[in-house]
Amino acid sequence: MAEILKVSNVSKHFGGLTAVNDVSFSINEGETVGLMGPNGAGKTTLVNMICGSYGVDSGKVEFLGKDITKLPPWKRCKLGICRTYQIPRPFPELTTLASVCVSALYGKDRPNRSLEDAMTEATHYLEFVGLFSKRNVLARDLTLFEMRGLELARALATQPKLIFVDEVMAGLNPVEAEKAVRLIEHAKDQFGVTVLWIEHVMAVLMRAAQRVIVLHYGEKIAEGPPKEVANNPMVIESYLGRG
Amino acid sequence: MEFEVKRERLVLRAGGGKWEWHIEPRYWRNPLIFVGILIAAPVIVYFWYPPLLATVIEANLLAAIAIPLALMTIGTGRMNFGPQFYIGIGGYAAALLSIHAHLSPGLTMIAAALGGLVFGFLMSPLSIIAGGLYYSLLTLLFPLLFLEVTYIFTDLFKGDTGLSGLAPLVSTGSFSLNLLIYAFISLTIMLVYLFIMDKIFRSRYAIQMAAINDDEEVANSIGVNVNKVKIISFTIAATLVAVVGWFYAHYYQAFSGQVFLPLSFMLKIFMVTMLGGRTQIYGCVIGGYFIAFLEMILIRTMGDMSPVLFPIILLVLLLALPEGLFGLYRKRHYREYMPTLRFRR
Repeated sequence: MAEILKVSNVSKHFGGLTAVNDVSFSINEGETVGLMGPNGAGKTTLVNMICGSYGVDSGKVEFLGKDITKLPPWKRCKLGICRTYQIPRPFPELTTLASVCVSALYGKDRPNRSLEDAMTEATHYLEFVGLFSKRNVLARDLTLFEMRGLELARALATQPKLIFVDEVMAGLNPVEAEKAVRLIEHAKDQFGVTVLWIEHVMAVLMRAAQRVIVLHYGEKIAEGPPKEVANNPMVIESYLGRG
Repeated sequence: MEFEVKRERLVLRAGGGKWEWHIEPRYWRNPLIFVGILIAAPVIVYFWYPPLLATVIEANLLAAIAIPLALMTIGTGRMNFGPQFYIGIGGYAAALLSIHAHLSPGLTMIAAALGGLVFGFLMSPLSIIAGGLYYSLLTLLFPLLFLEVTYIFTDLFKGDTGLSGLAPLVSTGSFSLNLLIYAFISLTIMLVYLFIMDKIFRSRYAIQMAAINDDEEVANSIGVNVNKVKIISFTIAATLVAVVGWFYAHYYQAFSGQVFLPLSFMLKIFMVTMLGGRTQIYGCVIGGYFIAFLEMILIRTMGDMSPVLFPIILLVLLLALPEGLFGLYRKRHYREYMPTLRFRR
């Protein structure tokens, strides 16, 4: 499997606080990699750095062999990196169809794309996440689960190669959570995307991820198959504290 | 030729052709009807009471400022409180070149537009650097700074009195006829702006502006080049507003920063946009006419009190109609994606 993303020694400081410290890892094409760690471990900061929302203080981010450390987020998106947010951030004043349409228009470069073409494509992604019947509903009027579905549709419509799924289970009930997991698995099968899955819920990563990376206080403390990581004493200590 | 009135439509048969007009209320949203009314209005006023044409011209110009301002607001996701800065740029460019270089109005228009383009482009990074209150304050300051500059360089800008003696756009010899022609020129400017904005807002470019309005960071992360959109929409709007400044200068044959650059003029533009709905281009037309006529009535009935009443009316509008008149309509028609372009900061 070819390497799709390579993060080398990235660090990020906010004033005196070190949010991410010298983290390196790589993701292969077609993989599902879990990123976990207690609250404030620096998971979202790391994703923000890879997506371009935050600048990198030191280190290097490579995507498909190309150095993207200095690229703005929209250029990274066009290359094939997209994400969903921990707290859903839909476009509240746009209908779900229009929201996905923005991605279909401006995500990966597709020449001679008209608004109508994008609308048609957007309906396809809405149908995939089960929101087709709500295509004309304003995004602010959706439920939390639907918002997460919309975010996934919006991210998929950019035709990404690598997608970051940020705590998709937060705030969902068990039935919805199960649906969400299945949806991401389907997305992986159908669109062939590589997934970096940020999650607190161990059980989900155990089931879905082939490899798990654990962050604690901004540093990578473990990496490997889920079962191995779950039994790692350092991981247990980071979650439960020292006995 | 045969003309027939049916229950729900009018039918005209001429030669081999047949034309039908539906007269059901649901077809009344045809914009051609409103354009027809706007074109007929100056002619009616001309025959009824010609001095009122000045108010019609003012209404058209207020709308012509508010329409590009809607583009600027939507494209940058921020409210610019100093659109009159570009009126000043356009007006002074036209006045200086007309008086000193004796350029024709056609050439001064190009110069005014270029002035707006250059200054708009130079100012546009503000929408990237500053946000929220800082952006509003900075944009509010620029016209006032410009006014100060006109006082400092009195030799050039003629300070309080302003520049006078510009070449008129039309001179037929009849005051009323001149006004009528000016009314049609101002209407043309306004309708052209309306047409351009309508085309932009229905295109694929508007949808990225809508996304920027709602969440800049997310829009950026799904491939929208936010900075480019902001700079382009800011610059286009500034250019269009500068052309209105050019018209003001040639219409009055004089231009003084004292009239256009202070906050009182900004307040009027702000009221037009508030009444119509902050980013609703059709609302701007209604707002422009309402405010121009309201101002005329207030000046005639209240005299000196009118500047005090304006802010009070604005306050009432802000409370009673936060989304403006068009907002009421749009609330029921949110399925059209265009309406959902709404300023939210």
